This record gives sequence, structure tokens and C-alpha cells, in this order.
Amino acid sequence: MTDMPQPAEMERRPRKPSPWRNLSVVWLVPVLALVVSLGIAWRTYADRGQLIEIEFQNAAGVKAGETTLHYRDVIIGTVENVGFTEDLEKVLVSARVDNNIVPFLNETAQFWVVRPEVTAQGVSGLSTVLSGVYIEGTWEKTGGPAPDRFQGLDQRPLVDVTDEGTRVTLTTQDGTVTSAGTPVFYRGVQVGRTEAPRLDESGSVVMVEAFVEAPHDRLLTTATRFWDNSGFSVSLGADGLTLDVGSFAALLSGGISFNTFFDGGRPVEAGHIYELYVDQDSAKTNAFSRVSGNTVTLATVFQGGVSGLTSPAEVRYEGLKIGEVRSVSAFVTGEGNDMEVSQQVLLEIDPELMGLPANSGLEDVLDLLSPAVDEGLRARLESANLLGSTLIVELAKVEGAGPASLDRTADPYPVIPSVPSNVQDINATLEGVLKRVNGLRIEELIQQATSTLASIETVATGSEIQTIPKAVVDLIEDARALVNSEAAKALPGEALDALADLRITIDRVNSDGVIAKLSSTLASADAAMANLSTASDELPALVADLREVAAEARDLPARELVESATEFLNGADALIDSEETRAIPPALTAALEQLRGLLAELQTGGAIENTNAALASARSATESLERATADLPSLTARLESLVARSEDLISAYGARSDFNSETLSMLREISAAARTVTSLARSLERSPNSLLFGK
Amino acid sequence: MSDATIQTARDAGLVACTQCGRVHGAQETMCVRCGAALSSRDETSLQRVWAWWFAGLICYIPANIYPMLKTSTFGSELDNTIIGGVIELIDYKSYGVAFIVFFASVVIPISKFLAIAYLAYSVQYPTTLPGKVRQHLYETVEFIGRWSMIDVFVVAILSALVQFNFIVNIHPGIAAVSFALSVAFTMLSAQSFDSRLIWDADEDRRT
Repeated sequence: MTDMPQPAEMERRPRKPSPWRNLSVVWLVPVLALVVSLGIAWRTYADRGQLIEIEFQNAAGVKAGETTLHYRDVIIGTVENVGFTEDLEKVLVSARVDNNIVPFLNETAQFWVVRPEVTAQGVSGLSTVLSGVYIEGTWEKTGGPAPDRFQGLDQRPLVDVTDEGTRVTLTTQDGTVTSAGTPVFYRGVQVGRTEAPRLDESGSVVMVEAFVEAPHDRLLTTATRFWDNSGFSVSLGADGLTLDVGSFAALLSGGISFNTFFDGGRPVEAGHIYELYVDQDSAKTNAFSRVSGNTVTLATVFQGGVSGLTSPAEVRYEGLKIGEVRSVSAFVTGEGNDMEVSQQVLLEIDPELMGLPANSGLEDVLDLLSPAVDEGLRARLESANLLGSTLIVELAKVEGAGPASLDRTADPYPVIPSVPSNVQDINATLEGVLKRVNGLRIEELIQQATSTLASIETVATGSEIQTIPKAVVDLIEDARALVNSEAAKALPGEALDALADLRITIDRVNSDGVIAKLSSTLASADAAMANLSTASDELPALVADLREVAAEARDLPARELVESATEFLNGADALIDSEETRAIPPALTAALEQLRGLLAELQTGGAIENTNAALASARSATESLERATADLPSLTARLESLVARSEDLISAYGARSDFNSETLSMLREISAAARTVTSLARSLERSPNSLLFGK
Repeated sequence: MSDATIQTARDAGLVACTQCGRVHGAQETMCVRCGAALSSRDETSLQRVWAWWFAGLICYIPANIYPMLKTSTFGSELDNTIIGGVIELIDYKSYGVAFIVFFASVVIPISKFLAIAYLAYSVQYPTTLPGKVRQHLYETVEFIGRWSMIDVFVVAILSALVQFNFIVNIHPGIAAVSFALSVAFTMLSAQSFDSRLIWDADEDRRT
């Protein structure tokens, strides 16, 4: 039994070790996992970014969790929620912005929704066609506390707050010349753009905000002039029909140019207000003044009508432009029969243009003018040019002006004494001319001729009668030459001038008083004419004498003699009193009217319509492209139809003109653009993914 | 076949190599044939089971919270968690695929957690299920564990294949990593379990 095999002896003493000492290393794994998990959770929470809210009028295409927030085209956050403001007035987009961006956000931040856009200036936002819209933001990099809620913009702002440059305001009457994003050119180079035009508070003026990028904004001075250079400009001049076309983009979307035609402008502050002129010429011609911005205002009072004087007519001093008429207003003085209408004209004068230092004030100008007024300086009206009906104000020394002085204390502006308008001076001039005509010693001349003829008569009755006819004829010829030349010859010319002046005066004079004066002048002219005719009364005597001569020279060619004399007289008469001579000024005016009409027709005619059609086409093309890029070929087709239409336009004008060649070059440009679009469309058809990858 | 009549190797002072099956005396600590460590019972087994189990559970939480797949289509990125993906598949009426994903990614891992926890618990505390059933349970858990990786494989294959630059792009999310870790940890947990303990407990209860 004892040998019985026993199971192997086994030490079965279960140890009771400390649970810690026996701890498995594997426990490190869950601890590590826990730490890592907590770490990830904490980081996710910490990196979550800050929630900002942006209010939009319209948040088409913005989706929670998908739409991203961009800064300089880099994603900086994601939209988390799209809701409404408390009053449901606006869409409230909540977006989470990356933490590293948050410190830079401040109240200057601007946000807008980027959508695909096709304009004449180019295509933008194409990447959003497939990926959906995104929100772009920009702000000044100064940093600072960020508000919780931002106001979103409807569209990309004209000026990125980070862009450097100057923002100015243009005023115009017609808002159609610009649109949002209209380029601003300087010597044909784009240096800025405009915002959409808006009306001022009163609704009478269209304001256009324009932004000129640095460093070009230093070209802006107070002397700078802006004008609209969109579309065609067709002008008819001595060198034929000329067509001026800016860039293709400017043709479609308009453009604004600026330049500085004068020196002496001062740098402008942001927000400076400029007038937008219709074209370059009017910008140039109106370009005076307010150059320095430092002007003083004086007043003057004219008696009687100042019809034709409007703001901003020129103010001239010693023939130089020194300012502009600011306003013309009428007031009544006296009572009853003494009642008289006076016109108060406010003159805006630039001291710099008078040769005074740039910073001169009103006192300096008055100091300069005061002694001059004492010596006879007066304000008077003057016609701006020979044919026009516009008036200007001239400060000139008037001989024989009554004593007057500069009224420094007048309210509200110092008053410069005036003399009756120069329009009356013109009448006086006419009168003087007639007086001179009157004063010509025609009678003496004729008497001399008569006595000469008398001498001839005595000679003719003499013995050398055979030689007389020829001598007489020669003598008559000489007499004719005598009358024809020198002072006599000046008579028709001066009368012609007088008539021209008379014509202008009649054209211009509208008010009763002047007409009365004019009629009195005409009366005196009549008297002068009467004098002239009495003087001419002696002519028949001359003829009689001639007839006598003819009678006495019986066998000689008397008819020839009489005829030549009559011819001469008729000729002189016809010259002075010819209908054609009288008709010259109206004919000239009519010609100008026709010219003007032609220009107006050209401006308002088919050219603009075609441009508008082109714009409409481009706009609809834009819409098509917004919907789907597949419509590109139709844009091409439209451009081709534009070309076709333009060709029709060309055929309407003659061949081989400047207009033609300019237009043809423009059409080539359009065709090239159309070809580009076509090739773009083709390449898109071939490899649509190039649109996606931007290759 | 009655359990009562069987004398266990342990009773006989023998210990089998778990690797090659050779039987040694109880005093041996190393298999003379394959060199594997010998022990009659793995005393740290339960500890390791619980450690791996907890690690797996911890990893399973972010696996469900964070996105599994990051799909970017035309620049717009879409994140999908496991459950989110299943719901989306149901939206697309792909019920079969939805069921497979749901089964592999949710049902199996959770059942595994429950099963392992139950087995480990039953070793230490009296339990109602007989040892044989628990042995089957254990084998099932060990077998089926690897199939949970199906989701991870799908993610790996998709992100390797679907790389079309801008058009479609698929990237694995954090959840893919943590889910893979979770599955791996639960598999280790199941492997750490010394199934012989089931019988010990059974015997203890009977005696």
C-alpha cells in the first residue's frame, strides 16, 4: 500500500500577493487609451473656434455645416447654423471661426456671400458653381475686440478694407453712365472702380462712389476732372467723321476717366466731391476754377436784363478768366413808375488766378480791386463769342464811367460797381460805325468828281474834241477806281460788319428795354441812312452831267459811258443792301444748327441702341452662365450677332472713313473676344474637368 | 459523459503546453518541446482581460462620436459617423448594406463587450449558465471578433481607391483609428481569457 504510486507532490499554496504587486502591465493600455481619448476630446473642444453671427439680407446657397468662411480664399471657418434674426427681417448665419483668426477680427470686418459672376470685367467666383457658395470676409489687420454680430454685405464691397487708396464721390445727373464695378481710368489705365450709383437725399443728384487705388490716388487733386468715357464717341469735325472707342470692357459696362488739366491743385481728402462731366471736352472746357478750392465771393448789380448770363459763366479780368458766375438773381428797387428790376450776380473769384498768393482771402482781393475801381474798373456784360448767345462778366476799365467805389461793407457780399451791359455798347458801336459812314466825305468826293466832269465838259467843248472820248473814258475809269477804293471801299465792308453786329444784337436782345434802345438806334441808323441818301441825291446830278457829256460827245460811245456808271452805282448798292449779305449770319447759324442736330442724332441714334443691345446680350449671357456654363456657345452666338449688327451699323456709314476703320478695329476686337469664348467653350466641351481644376 | 468521473490534469499534477499540447509535470515552467511558458492556470488572465476590455471600451466611445469617413465632393466636405452612415444608408434604401454595417460595427462590438464581461464575471462569481455553454460563448466571441474589422477594411479600401482630386475624396476619420483599436483591444481581451477558468469555476461550484 505504501508503495502505491502517489500523485506527484504539488506545492499548492496559493499566494496571497498584494494586488498591486501582481498588477499586470496591460493595465497601462486602458490608462493610455483614456489619456489619449481625453486629450483628443479636450483638443477638439479647445480648437472649436469662436462662434460669430453674421446678418444677411439674402443667404441663398448658404448651408449649415457645409458653407465655409474664407479669408483671402483660405478657409477659416464653417457655418454651423442658418437661422433668422428675432424679427425674421434678416438671415442670421452662425459660423465658427478658427481660433488663430479670432484675435484679428474686429468691427471693421465685412462679410459677403461669393457667388459666380460673369461681367464685362471678367468672370469671378467660378469655383462656386459646383462647390456652392461661400462667405468671404475681410477686415483691417489691426485686431481688437470682435463684436458677436456682424452685418453682412449684399455683394463684394467696392473696396476691400485692406486696399489702400482714396475714395471720392462723383456727382452726375444721369446714373446710367455707371454701374457697380465700372472701371476708372487714368490715361487709359485702370486705376480704380466705382460703386453702384445712388441718389442723394433730395433725389436731384446721382452720387457715385469711386475708389482710386494707391499709389494712383496721388494723381487726384482739386484740379482733377472726371468724365464719362463709356461707349462710342462720334464727332464730326474738319477732318471728317471720327469715332472714339475706349476699351471693349468700357464699351459694355461704361468707364470713367479722370485727368488733371491744370496745375495748382491741392491733394484731396477722402470723400472729395467731383462733378462727372459728360465727355472729355466738356470736362476740359469746364475745367477752370475751383482749382485751388479757395475762392472769394463778390457781388455786382446790373440794371436791366442779363438774359444769357447763367452760372457758371466766366468772369474775366483784363481778358483772363479769374472766376465764375455763381448765381444770378433778380430783385426790384423803387416803387410805382420808378420800379426797376435789377439783377444781382454773385461772382466767385479765385485770388490765385488774379496773381495773388494761393492763400489770399477776401481782403486781399478787395485791396487789389479797390484802387482799380476808383480808376474806373467796372463789371459789365460781354458776349462770350461772336456767334453764341452766352454772356460773360468782364471786369474792365470803362472810360468815362461815373465815380463809384467798391462797397466793402455791402451785405452779404462786397459789391463791385457795374456799367450798363456791354450789349448796349454794341449798339453804341453800331451807331458809331454809322456815324463814321456818315462822316465819310462822299459829298466832297462827288463834288470833286462833278467839278472834274465840269472841267472835262469844258475840255470837251474845246478844240481837241477828237481826243476827248478816250480821255473821258479813262477819266471815268479813274474816278471809278477812286470811288471803288480806299474809304469808299471801306464803306460796304464796314456796313457789312455793322449789319453783322446788328444781326447778333437782334438775336441776343430779348428784353423790351433793349429792344426799345435798339429801335432808337435803328431810328438813328435810319437818320444816318437818310443822310446817306441826301448825299446820294447828288448822284443823279452826276448822271445828268454825264448825260450832258454824252450828249455833247454825240458820235461817241455814250451808252457805254452811262452803262458803266450805272453799273458801278448798282454794284455798290447791291453790295451794301444785298440779301445774301444779310443772309450770311442766319445761314451760318442754320449750318451750325444742322451740325448740332447731326451730332445729337449720332449720339442718340443707332450707336447707343446697339451698345444697349450689346449690354443686354452680355447681361443675359451673364445670367445664362450663372445657371450653367454649358450656355457659353450661345454667348458666342450673341456676340456674333452683335458683330453682325455692328456691321449693319457700319454699312450705314460711308466706306473708308475714320469711323469705319475705328469700328472695324473694334469689331475685330469683338470677333477676337467671340473666338476666345468659342475656344473656351470648345475646350470646356473637350475637358470639362479643367473648369473644376482651373487648368 | 459525466463530469464527476473525470480526473483533471491539474488533479493529476500535470500541465499541458497551451502551444504544442505536450504534457509536463507540474513543476516544469517551460515546455521542453516548444519553449512556451507553462502554467497550470494563468493567474493574471482576468486582470489582462479586464484591462484590454476597458481599453477597448474607451476606444469605442470616440469611434462612435467622431467621423468615420470624410467625404469631400466638389469641395464640400461631409463627415459621417458610424451611426450617421447607417442612417444615411437607410435613407438611400440600402437596407442590406445598412444592416451589415450596423451588425458589424455596432451589434458585434457591443455583444463582444457584454460576452467578455460576462465570462470574466462568471469565473469569479457563481453563474447560472453551465460551463459548456460558456465555452461555446467564448469560442464564438473569439471567432467573430475579427469580423468587426469589416468596417475598418471598408474605410481603408475606400480611402485608398476613392481619390479623384477635387471630385470625390474619402479620408478616414479619427473614428476609424479608434474603432480599429477598439476591435483589436477586445480581441486581445478575449485572447487573454484563460478558458480553463470556466471549468475551474464549474468544478468549484459543483463540489
